[in-house]
Amino acid sequence: MSEHTVSSFDDDLDRVDRLIRDMGERAGEMVRNATHALLTSDTGLAQRVISDDAILDERQRELDDRSIALIARRQPMAQDLRSVVGAIRMAADLERIGDLAKNIAKRVGAVGVAAMPKTPSASIEQMSDLVLEQVEGVIRDYMAHDAAALTELRSEDEKIDIKYTAVFRELLTYMMEDPRNITTCTHLLFCAKNLERIGDHVTNIAENAYYVLTGKQLPMARPKQDETSVPMLAE
Amino acid sequence: MSQMLPIGKSAVMTASVPAKPKVEVKNLEFFYGQSRALKNISLALPARSVTAFIGPSGCGKSTLLRVFNRIYELYPNQRAQGEVLVDGRNILDRGQDLNLLRAQVGMVFQKPTPFPMTIYENIAFGIRLYEKLSKSEMDGRVEQALQRAALWSEVKDKLNASGLSLSGGQQQRLCIARTVAVKPEIILFDEPASALDPLSTAKIEELIDELRSEYTIAIVTHNMQQAARVSSQTAFMYLGELIEFDLTETIFTAPREKRTQDYITGRFG
Repeated sequence: MSEHTVSSFDDDLDRVDRLIRDMGERAGEMVRNATHALLTSDTGLAQRVISDDAILDERQRELDDRSIALIARRQPMAQDLRSVVGAIRMAADLERIGDLAKNIAKRVGAVGVAAMPKTPSASIEQMSDLVLEQVEGVIRDYMAHDAAALTELRSEDEKIDIKYTAVFRELLTYMMEDPRNITTCTHLLFCAKNLERIGDHVTNIAENAYYVLTGKQLPMARPKQDETSVPMLAE
Repeated sequence: MSQMLPIGKSAVMTASVPAKPKVEVKNLEFFYGQSRALKNISLALPARSVTAFIGPSGCGKSTLLRVFNRIYELYPNQRAQGEVLVDGRNILDRGQDLNLLRAQVGMVFQKPTPFPMTIYENIAFGIRLYEKLSKSEMDGRVEQALQRAALWSEVKDKLNASGLSLSGGQQQRLCIARTVAVKPEIILFDEPASALDPLSTAKIEELIDELRSEYTIAIVTHNMQQAARVSSQTAFMYLGELIEFDLTETIFTAPREKRTQDYITGRFG
């Protein structure tokens, strides 16, 4: 995209873009740290996630203020308008991702993973890796203006949903095996659900980013795959 | 969604509005002497709807407007070729009665141009050219026109004051009243608010919004936000060519053409 005749307009738009990238990187790091803290019972790291969330919230407010001021001062049109409105919406999803990561971090002390003889940490770690890849990928694709990759990325969320269903069932078996696992497994279940929700926010971001880049809406969302809400007929 | 039509040399661009076209321009060319100011313009203006024309200075948007009522013929060495159909009849035909055409196609200019006569006479003057009315009928028509232009309440007690004593915004509305008084079907606005303050501009835009249910309106404006506010479809012109014509919301949110995008986002040249 060529430059504006008024160059300070470009500066304003760049500033909003940089905030999105910064929020995206920070949210990704929070997800990584939160899961790591959970699986290693690292309360110090968990504490850092919680304080990072305050910074993420602050960034979102800054982005909102700058975007509103930009609209008022510049009256952006077409691609510019889409990118500013899109940024406001993407920032809201990134802020929610931060909240969900914080929720995971807050459980770190309570979970007591170490108390369990067999732990589902491998499954949760795999799920977390998938989610992390999505969070980092969506920001990367948006910054690279790669609309095709965003379409692909949105459909990748299905893998997270499938993984979540598997984790859900796995945790259920541990609980049935030994009722002493129930507390830990319930906490882990909430964490897994939070990771699954983060995946949903990433798909929202991908949809917004796609609209910003192309001016077209992606087709309606794919069917939801969270099968844990469906009665398990076979069991 | 809008239908994507190629910018074909002969395809008529429509903004895919269901309304029947009031004006159809086909392969229109315009020359100022040797200079070709409009290049193969084809588009259709839907009836009872506002169509905006935007583009940088010299793109031909005002020239196109001046073809719709053949006002260009007042000047030497200017000529149009091609077709401009109003209700299916080519107004560029030699046999076209220009007085009737200019009653049918009214025009409001950038600078308010009231006649140096009373407010009442500014309206009545035009009507008398076309109709013989009694005093009371004329009074009714003058009031109706001033009402229509949202000026009546401000001038009803001073109809015998000079039109030139009004403020710029009021003068412009007086010109609009003068235009609607002769019952046109099409109204052309050439930068109607560019010399007015924001409040007077808002009144003109409100007025255009009210007039759209009765008239086919074409407006040329340099103010993109104004085009976005008042029109249903927008045409972007550049160097005498029609680059893109589509629903206004499409033009201002997701235009197809890069040149349109560059212009409306302020990235031009």
